Amino acid sequence: MAGLSLRNVRKTYTDGTDVIHGIDLEVQDGEFLVFVGPSGCGKSTLLRMIAGLEDITGGDILIGGERINDVEPSRRGVAMVFQSYALYPHMTVAENMGFALKLAGESRDAIGAAVGRAAEILQISHLLDKRPKTLSGGQRQRVAIGRAIVRKPRVFLFDEPLSNLDAALRVQMRIELARLHGEIGNTMIYVTHDQVEAMTLGDRIALFNAGRIEQVGRPLDLYERPASRFVAGFLGSPRMNFLRCEPAPSASTGSLRLRLGDAGEISLNRPVGAAVPVALGVRPEHISLTRTGDGLRARVELLEHLGDSVIMYASLAGQRDPVAVRLSAHPDGLEPGATVGLLPQAEHVAIFDAAGRAMSSA
Amino acid sequence: MALPVSPPPDPDQDAALASRGAGDGLAEGTTNVPASTSLIAEDLASPTPQHSGAVARPAAASRRRLTMRKAAPYLFISPFFILFLVFGLFPLLFSIYVSFFQWDAATGLGGMEWVGIDNYAFVLMQDDWFHKSLYNTAWMGIAGGLPQHLVALPLAFFLHTAFGRWRNTFVGIYFLPFITSTVAISLVFTSLFSREFGVVNAMLGALLHLENIDWWQPQYSKTMISFVVWWRYVGFNTVLYLSAIQTIPRDLFEAAIMDGASRWQQFRHITLPMLKPMIYFAVTLTIIGSLQLFEEPFVLTAASAGDGRMSGSGGIDQAGKSAAMHVFTTGFGENDFGTASAVAWILFMIIALMTMLNNRLLGRDTEGR
Ligand SMILES: Nc1ncnc2c1ncn2[C@@H]1O[C@H](COP(=O)(O)OP(=O)(O)OP(=O)(O)O)[C@@H](O)[C@H]1O
Ligand SMILES: [Mg+2]
Repeated sequence: MAGLSLRNVRKTYTDGTDVIHGIDLEVQDGEFLVFVGPSGCGKSTLLRMIAGLEDITGGDILIGGERINDVEPSRRGVAMVFQSYALYPHMTVAENMGFALKLAGESRDAIGAAVGRAAEILQISHLLDKRPKTLSGGQRQRVAIGRAIVRKPRVFLFDEPLSNLDAALRVQMRIELARLHGEIGNTMIYVTHDQVEAMTLGDRIALFNAGRIEQVGRPLDLYERPASRFVAGFLGSPRMNFLRCEPAPSASTGSLRLRLGDAGEISLNRPVGAAVPVALGVRPEHISLTRTGDGLRARVELLEHLGDSVIMYASLAGQRDPVAVRLSAHPDGLEPGATVGLLPQAEHVAIFDAAGRAMSSA
Repeated sequence: MALPVSPPPDPDQDAALASRGAGDGLAEGTTNVPASTSLIAEDLASPTPQHSGAVARPAAASRRRLTMRKAAPYLFISPFFILFLVFGLFPLLFSIYVSFFQWDAATGLGGMEWVGIDNYAFVLMQDDWFHKSLYNTAWMGIAGGLPQHLVALPLAFFLHTAFGRWRNTFVGIYFLPFITSTVAISLVFTSLFSREFGVVNAMLGALLHLENIDWWQPQYSKTMISFVVWWRYVGFNTVLYLSAIQTIPRDLFEAAIMDGASRWQQFRHITLPMLKPMIYFAVTLTIIGSLQLFEEPFVLTAASAGDGRMSGSGGIDQAGKSAAMHVFTTGFGENDFGTASAVAWILFMIIALMTMLNNRLLGRDTEGR
């Protein structure tokens, strides 16, 4: 087991596409780090560079303090679980899992023992003699993970391993992956599109944007204290509401007061900074309904019943996008067309400057 | 070919519809034909002037037209079937029939003489030239066929891994011999293998210090023919294998790389097993092709005859005579079409047997991947 360091890592593909623009990242020994980000931002590319399947154009990658830029993929001590599972169709499950050891020239007994142990951890001992094509998606996924475990890697790499599974199985495998990480305690890097996977699995999340890391931190830190508008908008569903705002002219006292077009003003219990805030961000669950007249004036557009909660979409004067509000229940008499007052909870409000950076909160 | 056709329309009703249609200013084709009927029916029912004008026209006329409509598709595809029947199926069946007769074609059909299975018995028991030609065919099939695959498989893997953009160009070059006329190829090789001035002898002399070889001597001619056959088809097999390799998911190779597989191990443990269905297919083609081998020995062995003709009869001691050539010489050389047909059918049975064996050997477990 070992930690992983990325130092100013860059990647330019041979066709000239610049994909990774200098990434610095420290992954602790035994940590579960999740890479998230929009499609095409270079998550897979970076993972494949760590694995050794892509050349490293610039910078260094270290595993356990050792520079591995020029080390062969199989000698880096990393194992990768592919999105497609990439199981060898002509081999049995046991042969699939033991293939690396066989190539390494281990004895039959040693291979059998290692495969048996891994199969036990993943509860696939009864499948060892089967061919991949006879397995279900979830079972194939387990075999793919088992093949990685057998190699006893220092670092596990997962590239969207659950995206081919249906929703229920995904939840189950997610829980098992968390259990597996607890059990074997290796360093794991996990690429996903799925916010829930990112929030629940990761010790930390690295959020990528166009070949750069936008923010790294614990899931709740990213959720509650996003460093930028991009991060704030990426995590959370429905996503954070962004409202255009400007400092209110009456802001003379020490605390910050923002004006949101014609909808009204809100005052935040925080000092006026040097930069000018241009956008106010507030999550749907951090807005409460008040009587008309109090708070921001809004008109109800649409109500979505999710069962456990209701999402209300309301339009504010002077704002382009409707505001989403999460309500725990459907209040009496609330209909599309009604006028309501919205009260963002000041302590949960984030404000952003013109460059999209979050301005120091509280 | 059953087209849904509605019954022929009543001309009276047609006319009525037509006049109403005209009165309403509607476009033609708006009739009572339901949307579900076929185009043909709709067309028939449309109030064309011809229909509406000849109110008293008997229904038989349109019925005749209908049957023509039905017959037309068969008419259009008939040339193939007629040609197939005349030049494909008939000769096939006739050759079975002939194989039980003693027949010199020059005597006409009246000269056929029933001999039962004598032709088969003769070919199997006594026809030494057939036995020799069969041995030659097997020899050249193995010497010319096996190396095709032994070379094409690694070559395809190499082309796949080593060439990016230029791959197709190389494949095209390898494929060229396959689409070139056998006669042209054989002529070129005849001069390449020439004893005094041939490039092959010059090279062997320079590299291995061998004396000039007379490739048309019985001990060499099969080697020469096998080489030409190998050279001609190795590219075709390479293309087959390359196309199959390209369908192997890249992930599998990457997983193997992560597992520590070298190039050779990737080939051995991933490519080869994944190619098994294609190997089965390609070997089947080679088996069939080898047992039908004709053109290459036919033209190449002509050179030894030295009479300037293009048709060889197997060279000195018939060392290069294939079984298919034996069919040819028996039939067209000796005018013994009964025996020639028997040889052809025996050859067919051997091909069927070999293909079955190959299925046992390579065809198992290739489906459902
Ligand atoms: N072999 C390649 N050659 C050139 N460009 C490539 C290559 N592979 C990927 N790219 C480009 O690199 C960028 C990043 O790709 P990558 O697969 O790393 O994205 P990703 O973040 O994993 O996206 P996704 O979430 O959709 O999987 C994309 O713009 C892609 O087009
Ligand atoms: Mg990806």
